[in-house]
Amino acid sequence: MALLEVRHLTKRWPTGRLALDDVGFEVREGEILGLLGHNGAGKSTIMGITLGMVRPDVGEVRIGGRSVQQNRGAALQQIGAIYEAAVFYDYLSGWQNLRVLCSLSGWWDEAEVKRVVQMVNLNRAIQQKTSTYSHGMRQRLALAQALLPQPKILLLDEPTDGLDPEGIREFRELILHLRKHHGMTIMLNSHLLGEVEQMCDRCVILKDGKKVFEGPVPSQEKSRRIYQLGTNDIGLAREVLDRCGATMDKHGIVEVPLNMEPHELVAALVNGRVQVSAWQPHRRTLEELYMGLSSRS
Amino acid sequence: MTLFLQQWYGELLKLFSRRRTYIGFGAFVALELIILLLIKKFGMGPIQKAIVGSGQSFEYYFSALTVASTIMGFSIFLLGALFLSLVAGDIVAKEGEDGHMRLLLARPVSRFRLLLLKYLTCSGYAFLLVQFFAWTSFLLGLTLRGWGGGYFAIVPEISVVAFYDWGPGLQRYALSSLYLGLSMTLISSIAFFLSCFRIKPATATIGALTYILVDFIMRTSGFMENYQYLLLTKHMACWGRILAENIDWPLIWRGYAVIFAVNMTLFTLGYAVFESRDLKS
Repeated sequence: MALLEVRHLTKRWPTGRLALDDVGFEVREGEILGLLGHNGAGKSTIMGITLGMVRPDVGEVRIGGRSVQQNRGAALQQIGAIYEAAVFYDYLSGWQNLRVLCSLSGWWDEAEVKRVVQMVNLNRAIQQKTSTYSHGMRQRLALAQALLPQPKILLLDEPTDGLDPEGIREFRELILHLRKHHGMTIMLNSHLLGEVEQMCDRCVILKDGKKVFEGPVPSQEKSRRIYQLGTNDIGLAREVLDRCGATMDKHGIVEVPLNMEPHELVAALVNGRVQVSAWQPHRRTLEELYMGLSSRS
Repeated sequence: MTLFLQQWYGELLKLFSRRRTYIGFGAFVALELIILLLIKKFGMGPIQKAIVGSGQSFEYYFSALTVASTIMGFSIFLLGALFLSLVAGDIVAKEGEDGHMRLLLARPVSRFRLLLLKYLTCSGYAFLLVQFFAWTSFLLGLTLRGWGGGYFAIVPEISVVAFYDWGPGLQRYALSSLYLGLSMTLISSIAFFLSCFRIKPATATIGALTYILVDFIMRTSGFMENYQYLLLTKHMACWGRILAENIDWPLIWRGYAVIFAVNMTLFTLGYAVFESRDLKS
């Protein structure tokens, strides 16, 4: 079931630049969806529209069946978000910041706040002013505020930006923990391919405001059968593969057609007098997919 | 209602946790002390002449209330305008510029409610600052002249001159400070309105100050004699009518009706501007 639906979003900035061009996708319950794209591709604009901070020219976002554009208050009840860089009130403590933000949701439960603060590992610093926080602590506080009060969907806009490697790893583990133990649905906006590859089930790739891909993250793919072929007879191999309905790229990556088993394809190659020196499963990386889409566009 | 109060508490917590908020209070106390020292050293000058010229006893009317009123008269308009513009000019624009607004509006709260909370906060601040100024002036007056005596009230811009005994004088002083607080919310409203645009907080502050000063200069220059009703400072000055021996309530209510209407108009326009903005860096 789709918890969040992005429908035909189009947005043109007053400068005339087209930020989004008929973009649509959905985030299903319990999944982590990665929103990928270069800087200025439209990722944050989608986040902004989802939170009702940016108005689309066309289209809408629905959260749990409620339109953000028509009933923002009700739709946002189910969402927690880190939108762009979370800037806290430096002259307030972490606790006071959470209090101010939670009051806007009309909610305050001290026990629950303490639990979340402990979960993000901020319990020792929560009474300190946020001006004393490191970047990592601020990001953890940002996550804490997004988790209060118990959202169904988490929107994270480049949450690991500026974190050191340990911070990134810690943050990633926290997100995966949330999905595994709390069944959280997450939309993650990032331009870090590794981050999306490690955390997300599916991804949407944007380029210049257009959706150019929507599907499983390659490392999560189970249905596709891709192999690396090693041979000196590239031309002959291509002929045989063409006859079998298989495709091969210039690096010798072969996609086995659905009507054949991989071993049948190898047999066909051998029978076609192709000298096969290697045949091993190949796992396509997100980077390959992303770069492929970028160069194609 | 409880929710609204909780949210308002959040706004007040933010406002009163900032050092900048207290600069206004500190500046007023410093100015009050300077004026008090000047009064102590050089006497009441023109006030003394006015009292004696009216055939009254200067010794009786040279009281804590008269001193407090004099201190207020010297400085509330200009210094008050500066600090009210500073706080109200910051209240939306600075949060937008710093990125706090994106954090706030990621919550299920409407822009209208958020602005209403902020508007009430800066209006409340205006009112509070005036009360603080009125009563610290009074306390300083007490240290100089002690309890008791008369009250010589003078507001030259609306030709109010009156003499009171201590009890009625204290009542008039208290009442006039409340109305002055209401008048000063107009300055907050102008700064708040400008703050709703996508501009720097300092621009909103300077814009509001400029408007008020231009309005004030136009009023005092005499060129706008027949169009004074168009000038906001004219309506703001009606707090002084509380000090007249016979209070002209219809005139006061008319002035405050205009102030209320302008405040509401500025809030509504500010909201319309803010509502139409895309909040993205």
